[in-house]
Amino acid sequence: MIVTSLLTASVVWCLFYGRLPSPALGALCAALGIVLALLGRHAHGGVLTVDQIALKSRFGAVNAGLKTFGCVALILLASLSRSVLAPSVLFLLMSLLTAAGGVRWHDYLRMLSLPASFLLLSGLALLFEWSAAPSGVLNLRFFGGWLTVTAAAQAKAALVLAKALGAVSCLYFLSLSTPMSGIIRALRRAHVPAVVVELMVLIYRYLFLLLEMHGAMRDAAESRLGYSSFSLSVRTTGNLYANLFVRSFQRANACFDAMESRCYSGEIRFLETEKPVTLPQGLAAAALFLLILAAVLSGGVLPV
Amino acid sequence: MKTEILRTQSIAYSYDDEGRAALRGLSAAFYAGERVAVLGRNGAGKSTFFLCCNGVLRPASGSLLLGGKPVGDKAADRMALRRAVGLVFQDPDSQFIAGSVEADVSFGPMNLRLPEEEVRRRVERAIRRLGLEDLRRRAPHTLSGGEKKRVSIADVLAMEPSLLLLDEPFASLDPENALRLEGILDDLSQAGLGLVVATHDVDFAWRWAQRILVFRDGELRADADPETVFADHGLLAECGLEQPILYRVGKRLGLSPLPRMVEEIPTCETN
Repeated sequence: MIVTSLLTASVVWCLFYGRLPSPALGALCAALGIVLALLGRHAHGGVLTVDQIALKSRFGAVNAGLKTFGCVALILLASLSRSVLAPSVLFLLMSLLTAAGGVRWHDYLRMLSLPASFLLLSGLALLFEWSAAPSGVLNLRFFGGWLTVTAAAQAKAALVLAKALGAVSCLYFLSLSTPMSGIIRALRRAHVPAVVVELMVLIYRYLFLLLEMHGAMRDAAESRLGYSSFSLSVRTTGNLYANLFVRSFQRANACFDAMESRCYSGEIRFLETEKPVTLPQGLAAAALFLLILAAVLSGGVLPV
Repeated sequence: MKTEILRTQSIAYSYDDEGRAALRGLSAAFYAGERVAVLGRNGAGKSTFFLCCNGVLRPASGSLLLGGKPVGDKAADRMALRRAVGLVFQDPDSQFIAGSVEADVSFGPMNLRLPEEEVRRRVERAIRRLGLEDLRRRAPHTLSGGEKKRVSIADVLAMEPSLLLLDEPFASLDPENALRLEGILDDLSQAGLGLVVATHDVDFAWRWAQRILVFRDGELRADADPETVFADHGLLAECGLEQPILYRVGKRLGLSPLPRMVEEIPTCETN
């Protein structure tokens, strides 16, 4: 989280350098970094699964298919957008909506920090380019040349970041308000191939199992002083991963046996209560659909 | 007259081609509503036997009869077998697949391609029978050991089998949860479900089982009522078993019949 907040501060600095007065920008970046670091600092033990949060969400009663459609539509709109404003507003709104569903801010930020650090790193790559002369808004000496940030690069990076954040926030809203079984049903209704859905379920389920197993093995190695020196740590880590591989294989076999014994025949299905779509929800979905149609028909030129 | 549910005819199985056989020509039969305990050392073949009875493993030789009819190699036959004979795995975690208890319990009945109303009825019934009402929205892998065990039984019960195999259900349960589980097994048995329990707990086998199977190195060493099994010293020594404490107390006091419960021991009459 510390890394993410530092990254955020430096990316924001580069994005707005030359557009805002330096002291104001400095204060903004420092404040942003500190707020992120403080909010994300509180990490409680154990893996908090997305599904557990989704099960408690206030928006759990909304039809899963509708939510999936709405989020996919909004992601499309965000990526079609030509201005920074629309996806940024979408990001804020979706984050507020997710929080309104009952997700705590620091949990949300912690989860967001994973894609965010990836995004911010790509943002840095988009911002900086190497040139022989100091030609940009921001210039740093670098091995006989200059690392420069041009105004055009700033605009481009800002757009890409805004689009990506807007899309990620939609995805997070969906997965933090809809339990797995609802999403599976919606995807199946949308005729997504069964193999894809199955893979999604299994990867999601076993990711956490693997993490748990890894945690237990690491603790056991730690208690036998496996990490007491650097060379020992390296060796322990190697052994641990080798064993993790073997054990996850055994585990997968046991789980498959258990699934077969409950008559699994190539399709994972759970009982899911169909939630009715209310009239306003239906109208909102229709409006969203029309908006996308308009955006696509006008070749994505709409200023949204 | 007892209704036969499942019969195995000299089934054999081995995990690798040249290695030691896990099952060597095992024949046994299970009837509706009876309570059977399966005893034997670790590695005696109990779990392998259960996996074969459930159709997860296919025996290398020998055959299975379900309700008197041979179980073939067809997928439909194995589905019918799994439907009639439920298996509760020793490690509940390997059974869980869904994000909530309710969804997990519905996995089996959904696989049976039942109408949704019927699935809902079965899920509700299984949840009620195992007292999981308050846990239905929880994620199964976050529950305590005893709760996990109850969910894993509900998982199988929702498929409404006529015979339930439980692989060491008492392993790593605390005394309170073990007692609760025994109560659940009694309820299920009274409801007419046939139960087969693999266990190392001879005291439990003595007070609970009507019939005991003793496995040794992949073979059926004994198939008899508890009195016969525990009277056979040679058998016990050979299979690494001990006499149950109540059996020994009963013998020592010269009681007949031998007490299955502590309450059956007559109190001392002090003058």
